[in-house]
Amino acid sequence: MKRTVPLMIVLVGGVLMIIQYFIPHQISQDIFDNYTIWVPIIGAFALILGVGSLSRLHGHKVRNKAPNWPYSLAVLVPMYLLPVFALLLPASVGGGMDPPGVYNFAYMHIQVPIQSTMFSLLAFYIASAAFRAFRAKSLLATLLLLTAVIVMMGQVPIGELLGSWFPKVGLWIIDFPNNAAKRAIGLGVGFGILATQLKIIFGVERNWLGGAGE
Amino acid sequence: MKENIWSRMLNLDRRWIFLCIGVVCIVPFFLPFGLPVIPTAHVISIFDYIENLGPENAIFISFDFDPGTDPENMPMAVAVMRHAFSRHIPVFFTANAPLAQGMLESGFAYVTNPDAQEYFHVVSWQEWAQYREQGITGRDELQAAWEADGNVLPENASGWVFEGRDFAKLGYLPYFALAILGMTSSIASQYPEDMNGNPLIDMPMLQEHKSLRDVDLATTFSGTAACMWWVTYAREKIGLPVAFGVTAVSATDYTIYIQSGQLVGQMGGLRGAAEYEVLLQNAGYVEKPDRAFIGMDVQNAAHLLIFFFILLGNIAYFAGGFHKKGVLLKGRR
Amino acid sequence: MTRILPLLLLIMTALAAAQTGEQEQQPIPAEPEIAEVAAEEVLDVPPGDVSPLAGVELTAPGDITVIDHPDDAGDRLILSFSPGSEAEHADLFAAYIVYRRPAGGSDEEWMSVGVIPVGEGTQFVDGHDPDFPVIEGEAYEYRISALYLDETEVMGEPVIAQEVASGQWFHRGKVRVLVACLIFLGLIFYFFSRARMGATMYLRPIAGIEAIDEAIGRATEMGKPILYVPGLSDISDVATIASLTILGRVARKVAEYQTALIVPNRDPVVYTVAEEAVKQAYLEAGRPDSYDPNSVFFLTQSQFAFVAGVNGIMMRQKPATNFYMGMFWAESLILAETGSLSGAIQIAGTDAVVQLPFFITTCDYTLIGEELYAASAYLSHEPMQMGSIKGLDACKAILMVFITLGMVLAILDIVAKTQTLAWLKDLVTSQIVD
Repeated sequence: MKRTVPLMIVLVGGVLMIIQYFIPHQISQDIFDNYTIWVPIIGAFALILGVGSLSRLHGHKVRNKAPNWPYSLAVLVPMYLLPVFALLLPASVGGGMDPPGVYNFAYMHIQVPIQSTMFSLLAFYIASAAFRAFRAKSLLATLLLLTAVIVMMGQVPIGELLGSWFPKVGLWIIDFPNNAAKRAIGLGVGFGILATQLKIIFGVERNWLGGAGE
Repeated sequence: MKENIWSRMLNLDRRWIFLCIGVVCIVPFFLPFGLPVIPTAHVISIFDYIENLGPENAIFISFDFDPGTDPENMPMAVAVMRHAFSRHIPVFFTANAPLAQGMLESGFAYVTNPDAQEYFHVVSWQEWAQYREQGITGRDELQAAWEADGNVLPENASGWVFEGRDFAKLGYLPYFALAILGMTSSIASQYPEDMNGNPLIDMPMLQEHKSLRDVDLATTFSGTAACMWWVTYAREKIGLPVAFGVTAVSATDYTIYIQSGQLVGQMGGLRGAAEYEVLLQNAGYVEKPDRAFIGMDVQNAAHLLIFFFILLGNIAYFAGGFHKKGVLLKGRR
Repeated sequence: MTRILPLLLLIMTALAAAQTGEQEQQPIPAEPEIAEVAAEEVLDVPPGDVSPLAGVELTAPGDITVIDHPDDAGDRLILSFSPGSEAEHADLFAAYIVYRRPAGGSDEEWMSVGVIPVGEGTQFVDGHDPDFPVIEGEAYEYRISALYLDETEVMGEPVIAQEVASGQWFHRGKVRVLVACLIFLGLIFYFFSRARMGATMYLRPIAGIEAIDEAIGRATEMGKPILYVPGLSDISDVATIASLTILGRVARKVAEYQTALIVPNRDPVVYTVAEEAVKQAYLEAGRPDSYDPNSVFFLTQSQFAFVAGVNGIMMRQKPATNFYMGMFWAESLILAETGSLSGAIQIAGTDAVVQLPFFITTCDYTLIGEELYAASAYLSHEPMQMGSIKGLDACKAILMVFITLGMVLAILDIVAKTQTLAWLKDLVTSQIVD
């Protein structure tokens, strides 16, 4: 029962949405509109579950004084306090979403720099990955290495300074050989997606409902 | 295997690489080289497209990125915003996530900051209420009436931007892909009010552009595949022209959509943003390029350094004779 | 551009007048200064001068034909009409304005439902404006006016629409999609039935999938946890669902081996499904008591905050094995390189083509593109699952034949300078717009 009901919902919903695609009639549009109304509602409930999960996990750590438990407080306190500042408290005590409120400060001066720092790690990691990956171990690896250097230098003004052909050849590599390979993988992926969706709709694939499906 | 200089070089501790990258990223800020940036076709096509629009058209600028990709995505969004404001093209601002709405606010504040050297002076919805009541809603007549009443454009300002006439901040909606789908029928059905609680239905730009069918271009700036929502739900459904601004690591993902004609163009990473800034400068919209152009110095230095490391690795590989032995030292550091 | 601005003002004024029920053949009242601006800029007529159209007899657009819009929900009508004397005064012409009222309605019921600016033809699709919807089955009456730059509006005769809007039960533009779907479905079901009848099917080995058991075993031996990241996308992404099916298998093995499992999630819906998948796997493995409710958790919806969280887990808890399965974007390298730094064995799988090089560089095994979708069949060895892979291969084979044929014929077309393949190109590439 626990599995049959969801599988039936998927089967009916999946087939309905496939058929709906081909029917422009108002009835079909109404079904689709209803779907678009229900999805955010269900999603909103799931968000509550997500916040519950995070609270449970970190609450557990704080209660048991698990290693590094003060960091769990650093998760829980802002998670519950920021909405209070943003939505409930008046501007006179730092409430509201506009500067100079607490919420705005936390967003602009804590979250933005921290997240940008995370993203900037990419520069460091790309350098280290490129150092290890691009070695002329074989003919194919050499080709990869040369291509990478041309595309890389074509992306920056210094490449243009070294040779005006760098950006042109770089763009050609991106636009043609790269796209050809991408399309080939993309077609496989597209068919893979279709087959997986069919397997889900017709109940062949049921692992996603939990467990190994046995 | 016996360790020698080549093997040590080949297995260079990655922390040295990190240190060098750190240094070359900081130094150009103090010693800028300002090499010229030559715009490429994918960016020129977006610029030209917007260049052909005017006050009777409308575009969307969608902030579909998190603070994480702010350094790459923000300069692109800012450049397009400046371009649209300069040409008095009405702009609808949207965001695909709660945090992206903060990016929208931040980008808008940057372009309209009175302390900046060049900025657009905002006239809020409430400030020009009396002109609306008199039926003055056309872009030029509104500006004329506003200035005739003694309002003087500050010296460092590039122009006025009237809320509801030149821009509307729609903001974030949950399940944004569905919001795009809904906007293909009616923008007001998805956003009855803007971010500041102003009634959208009363805004002249909404009365002239009621759904995405009446909009001329959607530009989306994104660090994820969220940009594809605009292609899937707006381009494919009603044929809305779409342009992308994406991070450099994702840029090659979408070139196929330019080839297939589904995208007007694409800005890839900081380079794309710098190209747009240069185009704005060449067209006389700004006196000098902005942050992305300055950042290109860092990119130059970092690319050269990566090139140097690749060279170093290969020299060590061949000089150490590893190509003959067919084995590499193992170990993760 | 300078022409269009005043034109817009004119149209706006005309529309405003029309909304208040103005009568035909009357010049539209407008703010004098606006009219002057328009006339001055566009016509080079000094304010107060006589319009060039003064005394000219103007005929209105007519012959309105209204047909139902095909392949729609019954909410659109297509109008076409023949122009009046605008063609002779093209320089002075601004736009057509389309008016509509219920058939036989009063003059007050006329609504201007659209504007066709100069140069955009003599056809109009009514029903796109959300403020003036077309109701299915309702009879309407239309008339078109020609608006000139000097504000003269020449109103055409009203015509009762020859057709009413009606919804269709099949979108004819989607026939090609239907045919492709049927071929695809047919092949998949054919191989399903073959598999059910016991046909033996060979699948080439994929190293990344075979290494999954080995990687779990390694973590067990080392007494360290296993980290499983089900991608950063939401549940509507099929890569996420494929990832969750693999998670089910991994969790089952993990439960059998009594190893710790960590599953951080970015999407709350994915989190709830992942939690259920893991819980169920422990149940199936006969060890429901070993299931740790804190092993599957929601971290944050923010892309790079999520990465920071996962990287923190990698560096603090040092998992022996990291799985990255599903959809990844710009964060892929940050995750995988940190994992590599922590010394874990890493297996990745994604259909995000651009992120594949990053995973290939930093992970021990990578499932490329559709291999991610095939993983479930490989792990289960269920005949139906294997059948789906075979069906998929058959579809790809058909496509490859078509691509090759198309390529050869297209080259021949170029060489012979002919256009014999143009129809095929149109068939495949023409857009289906609602």
